[in-house]
This record gives sequence, structure tokens and C-alpha cells, in this order.
Amino acid sequence: MSYDIYLVGVGGQGILTLADLIMRAAVHKGHPVSFLPTKGMAQRGGFVKAELRLGRRGVGPHIREDGAHLVIAMERSEALKGVRYARPEGDFLLYGHAWEPTAVMLGEAAYPSLESVLEAIRVSNARLIYLDPKELPKIDGGYVAANIFVLGAAFGNTRLDEVLNADEMTEVVRARWPRRAKHNVAAFDAGLRVRGTS
Amino acid sequence: MQIKVLSGNEALAYGALQAGVKVVTGYPGTPSTGALTSLLAMDLPGRYVEWSVNEKVAFEIAAGAAWTGQRALCTMKMSGLNVAYDSLISIAYSGCNGGLVIYVADDPGASAGMAEQDTRGFALMSDLPMLEPSSIRDTYRLTQVAFELSERVKTPVLIRLVTSIANAKTALQIADPLPPADRIPILERNIAKYTKAGAAICITQHRDVIARLEKASEVIQEMELNSLQLAENPGGLGIVAVGAAVAYLEEAFDLAVEYGFDKTKVSILRTVTTTPFPAADVQKLFARCKSILTLEELEPHLERGLHIEAHRTGFAGLIIGKLDDGPLSRVGEYDVDHVLQGLNIALRLGIPGDRFKGNRATETLAARRPITVCAGCPHRGTYMAINQAIQNLDLDKDEVIITGDIGCTILGMNPPFNTVWTEVSMGASVSLAQGYVHGGVKTPVIATIGDSTFFHAGIPGLLNAIQHQTPLTLIIMDNGWTSMTGMQVNPGTDQTFQRTGGRRIDLARVIPGLGVDQFFVIDPYDLKGATSTIEGCLTLPGVKVVLSRRECAIQVRRQGKRTGNVRLISKKCVLCKQCVTATGCPALSIKHESIVIDAALCNGCGLCAAVCPTGALEKEDGT
Repeated sequence: MSYDIYLVGVGGQGILTLADLIMRAAVHKGHPVSFLPTKGMAQRGGFVKAELRLGRRGVGPHIREDGAHLVIAMERSEALKGVRYARPEGDFLLYGHAWEPTAVMLGEAAYPSLESVLEAIRVSNARLIYLDPKELPKIDGGYVAANIFVLGAAFGNTRLDEVLNADEMTEVVRARWPRRAKHNVAAFDAGLRVRGTS
Repeated sequence: MQIKVLSGNEALAYGALQAGVKVVTGYPGTPSTGALTSLLAMDLPGRYVEWSVNEKVAFEIAAGAAWTGQRALCTMKMSGLNVAYDSLISIAYSGCNGGLVIYVADDPGASAGMAEQDTRGFALMSDLPMLEPSSIRDTYRLTQVAFELSERVKTPVLIRLVTSIANAKTALQIADPLPPADRIPILERNIAKYTKAGAAICITQHRDVIARLEKASEVIQEMELNSLQLAENPGGLGIVAVGAAVAYLEEAFDLAVEYGFDKTKVSILRTVTTTPFPAADVQKLFARCKSILTLEELEPHLERGLHIEAHRTGFAGLIIGKLDDGPLSRVGEYDVDHVLQGLNIALRLGIPGDRFKGNRATETLAARRPITVCAGCPHRGTYMAINQAIQNLDLDKDEVIITGDIGCTILGMNPPFNTVWTEVSMGASVSLAQGYVHGGVKTPVIATIGDSTFFHAGIPGLLNAIQHQTPLTLIIMDNGWTSMTGMQVNPGTDQTFQRTGGRRIDLARVIPGLGVDQFFVIDPYDLKGATSTIEGCLTLPGVKVVLSRRECAIQVRRQGKRTGNVRLISKKCVLCKQCVTATGCPALSIKHESIVIDAALCNGCGLCAAVCPTGALEKEDGT
């Protein structure tokens, strides 16, 4: 078995935490794992990516282009940076949150339309699973953690569940932050149940 | 034994512990920082670990400890080795007693934004052995080997990681660390070894360093650190790989099978060093193979060695790599496709060219995301004050040079500030500014630098300006932390965070002590006051130093202190967007024709309120 996951997003969205959770589940299951987080210089608001390689011992940390069995993008524009890593027939999970840079908010720069991003993913021949950010549920009056929700959605909508077990993943999520366990497990379960569109 | 998820940096730290290291020093620098950070987080009785003021100081401390016979480790990024090199070459010539290991991290791909240098060149230049692990597992093992090699040969040993190994993580089985060896410090008076007093001593030391590298080569052979697999039949391809490239070999072989690749026909040398050159193994490879493919990131150091060895031994086969318009790149980091492309060319596998072309056109559609300072970052106020002061003096912003320096303070180069013009190396802002003055620039010359960078290498530049009374304004942005690399303690960090018995050094006392008569302290959250002080400095003659002082907002928050928040009074807002355009603050956005403040992100610096022309933003005090 070898299974490569390429994750992209913006600093502050919890992409690296999401990847770290998958890594922990994989280690727990005894899979060989390589995890390379790459963050820019900013605390928040910069491009962040992570490369997770499961199942191959002694493998180099970088995923080749057209190589990722699963791409997870948590930001609409940054998703474009994951497209060339998507394996044809692989899964591409896009959580369509739009985090506009200041220049875009001021109308000084363009921001890609949702349709153009979806089209770019379709052209890569990966299987597109689109999650509308409006699907993000609330619990006790506040939104759940989007990254945990997306993690659940990856189990519920892609072939990640053929590699790792959703129940075991739940336990990793629960154990990671005991005081937030209820909220995070609810976020994960909501993700598991949600159905993305293609 | 235990299984731990470790980064390459952490594996190096555990390897050093396992080797019984006693003294560890370093200066933070991406991607090397994690090694020393992980050690500082542990309780390590009998060992000494510190962040030093710069890499040269760090290395000299480690070398001194190794001269007493202890095992010592020094950590830094490649830029740091440039700083430490003056002492490194001298100590290379002297040799060491206890194991002395220098960990240096290179950054192929320049993800941390510095010169994409290949530090293996320093090993060549100083005749020091340099181990080049190809994985995290390898890092753990070779760090231990480095100490053993260092002590057996009595030479400092370099160990080099690259970003993709230093920052990657994997699960690793490691031994429970042993306590450091209880060695009585030795004091050896020997000027022939420890000084450079006279040509005779220096010439002897030069011979010694060359001999030590040869000995290191023999020890590496004896320890069987390199892996050589020779094909059964002669006349095939030989592959020589080192460092990160090694990790992609097997994956590339698997991919190449589809194109008729047969692994049993190739010979493979996985070497752990470029220096010393693995001559004995290469000779065996030459004897078996018709052509050689060289796989190494960045500069063709190994490949040049192969050409020399081919010349010496009469090997006439093709050596494929980067030289002579070879297919491989000297730029950027490698992944499996680089290895596959090498195989493709070397074996004429006929893999179509478009197999290697990524669809980068798609990426160009992504919105540009220039990085900026955090919400509440005190640097924001300093940039805004500098810009405002220049404007108040009716100067053209394009006619006032503002040199910049390393660290978070360089973010002032980006929009919306566009304040800082240059970024060279630690401390360079102060001296570069003097060059602009002597170059004849008539407008005021400004240098900017952060606190840690000033301590590291900025002070000599300032001394120079004071001695020669070169007119400039130096603005030191003192946030109390070495922030960019992840919040390390520096000499100016609050006393609470200094080691027990350590002492904080107050820049407000240091700078006047150096002989700066025109010294001002400002609060970057006080935009009006800060602007007025800087404006004044730009009209004064001589050397002016402004200490713009406020603690890093991220650290303030981590300590549980809140600076307050900013509130929008909607009815007063005319949506001029001045708050957003002037501050570029990540806590501010424009949604549905309204300014929105992310209360969770806002640190209440109030700079947006300071530029709001209608008083629609109100600063609430913190608790």
C-alpha cells in the first residue's frame, strides 16, 4: 500500500494540524509515514502546505506531480496550487472557503472564481469533491473547527477510509484535545456525514 | 527502546543525546532551529544547552568545550556557518579532543528565503568531513557516528541536513538517551595546536588537517557507512547519490519499470559524504560501469569529484549530472521526478518530456498572498511611523533609502508599507546605510533592524557609524524576542525568561553606552509620538538611534495578557478603507460593504483607530 496526501491552505486554517492528526492515526496503525509541513514566514495568512506519504518505508518526503492519491484544499484560491499534484483518478477534496488577501478586498487584485477553480480540478482528471463552507455546522452556538470537519469529510467522501479507519481517527481526535473532545468529535462526525458535490 | 514521531531536527537532537553530548549551543535559523529547541524543552541534567548571541560565538563555545575533552554540538542554518566560518577554519586546522559536531541546515528551494547556498562547499574548503544524511532515520544514526568519527580522527565533523529532512517527521525507534559521559575537563597548554603563532605552526597544522581528512576517509570506509551495490554484469549504469536524492531512488526505480528499467542492471553507490570524496567506492563503480549518473541537490560537488577521479583512474565513460549542460538542475530541491529524469536520460528510457512538465499555469491564477506582520505586531506601527515621517517632511518615498535586516522586521518590504528596500545578512542594514551615505545620497538615510539581529551582528556596524560620525538614523525594532524563527530568548528578552542566574541586557542602556548621544525610545503603538520622534531624527545631523520598543503581540497573548480590542462604531464609518490600506492588518476585512474586525485575532494595538479620519474605530483597553 502506498497513499500520498497533498494538503494546501492558508496559515491559521489548521491544515498542518489536520495533517498531523492523519499522521498520528497512521503511526497508530503501524503504517510507515512521512510528513513534511511547509509554512511560510507569516504566523497567519500565508500559503501553507503539507505532504503526507503513507505506506512506503524510507520514502522521500516530496510527493511528485500527478502523484497524490488525495488532495485536500481548505482555501479556494490555494487549491490551485494543489492541482498539479493530483493523481488522475485520485480524490480532490475542496473546502471552498475564500480567504481574500487585502489587495483583493480593496479591489486591487483578482481572486479566482469558484467555477474556475472547480474547472481546473476537473481538468486534472481527479475526482472532485466540493464542500460548501455553508455546510460547516455549529455546536453550542459556535462553529466547529473547520479543519476537523474537513478531516471527517475526507473519511466520508474519499478513499482515505480504505487506508485508515474512521473510528480510529475519531479516537485520535478525541485524545488530542481532551477538553475539546466533544466539539471536535462532533465536527468530525458532521464531516463524515456530509456529502460533497462533484 | 521507544517509538517516537520525530522531525529530522529532533532525530539529530536525540542522536546527539545518545552520543553523550554535554554542551550544545546554536543560533536560531530556519530550518535548523528545531534541533536545539527540542533539547531546551527537555530536562537534561549534566548537560548545558543555550541559544548563543550568534553562530560564531556559539561555535567557539562548543569548540572550547570540545577542547576540554567533552562532546559538543553546535547548530545553525547555512547563513550561520558563513558567520562562524572564520573560527571554523581555524579550529579545523587545530583539531579537537572531545567530539565536536557542527550541524548545519541548507535550504534547497529557499523556502525560508535566503541565498540557496550549498554548504558542502565549506567542507571542501576547510578539509572537514561532512556527513549528509538522506532521511530522518539516517540523521539519528549519523549524528552518533559524527561524534565517534570526530573523536577518532580528532577533527570537527559537519553534519548537513536540508529542509525536506530537517522539517519532515516520521515514526522512529530510538534508544533511551544515555547520560553524558563523566569526563574530567582537560586543560592542554600547546601553542602548536591551539594558536596560529608563526608560519611553522600554521604550515604544520595545514598538513595535519589534510592528514585528518584522509584518516576520516579511512574510518568511514572501515565503519561501512556508504552502501555500494554492484550489478552482476559489467557495462551497465552506475548511480552515485548523496543526501536527499538517495531517498527517491527506489521510488524512481518503481516508476521507471514501466519504461523497461531493470534494477538488476544498475550499480548504486549511496554515499554519506561528498567530503571526503568516496574514492575507493567510486573506483569500484568505475570498474564495473560504462556510465555514471550523479544525483545530488544544488551544486555539482560530487560530480566534479567524479570527473577528477575519472581523470586519475582513466575512466572514460560518460558522467551524467549537471555539468556540460547535463539534464539535472543546480537550482531548487529534488523530488522523485529529478531522479526519474536522470534515469531517463542515462538509460534512454524514452519517457515523454511532458511527463515532467507540471501544470503551473493553473497556479498563476491563484491570488497573490504577500506575507505581512501579525495583528497587533509592534513593527506595523514603526513602518507606519517611518512612512508618515517621510511624508510629513515632504520627502519623496522613493528618495529615502531604508535598509532592512533579517527577521520579522523585513516584512516591512511588503505592502501596504513598502518601507524597507534591502535584505542582505544579519546586521548588514547598519553598515549598508553608511555606504549609501558615502555614496553621496543627500536625503536622510535610515537603517532598520530587529533586537536579536542587532545583538547578533548589528553592534559592530553601529560602532563604526559612531566612530566615523556617519549621519544616519538607525531604528531598532525591539519586540523582545527572536520571533521569526519561533520565539527564542535573546539577550534582550525579559528577565523572567532568561535562564536561572542569567541576566537580561537592556538595549536602552547599551546604546547610549556605545556613544550614541541622540538616542530616543518610542512606543510603536503611539503612532503620533513615534512619527514625531522619527521626523525629528531625520532633520538632525550625526548618528541617531531610535529604539522602537514593545513586546511581540503573539508572545504577549501567549502569556495570557490581553492588550485589548478595537471596536467599530458603524454609524461613524464612511468606508474610506483607510484602516485597511494603511495597516494591512489580518484582523481587518471588508465584508458586505462594512469593515469587519475579527475580535479573536485583534490584539488591540489601535493603529487602525489612529489612522481612521472619522473616529469610527475605538480602542478598548485591555485587562
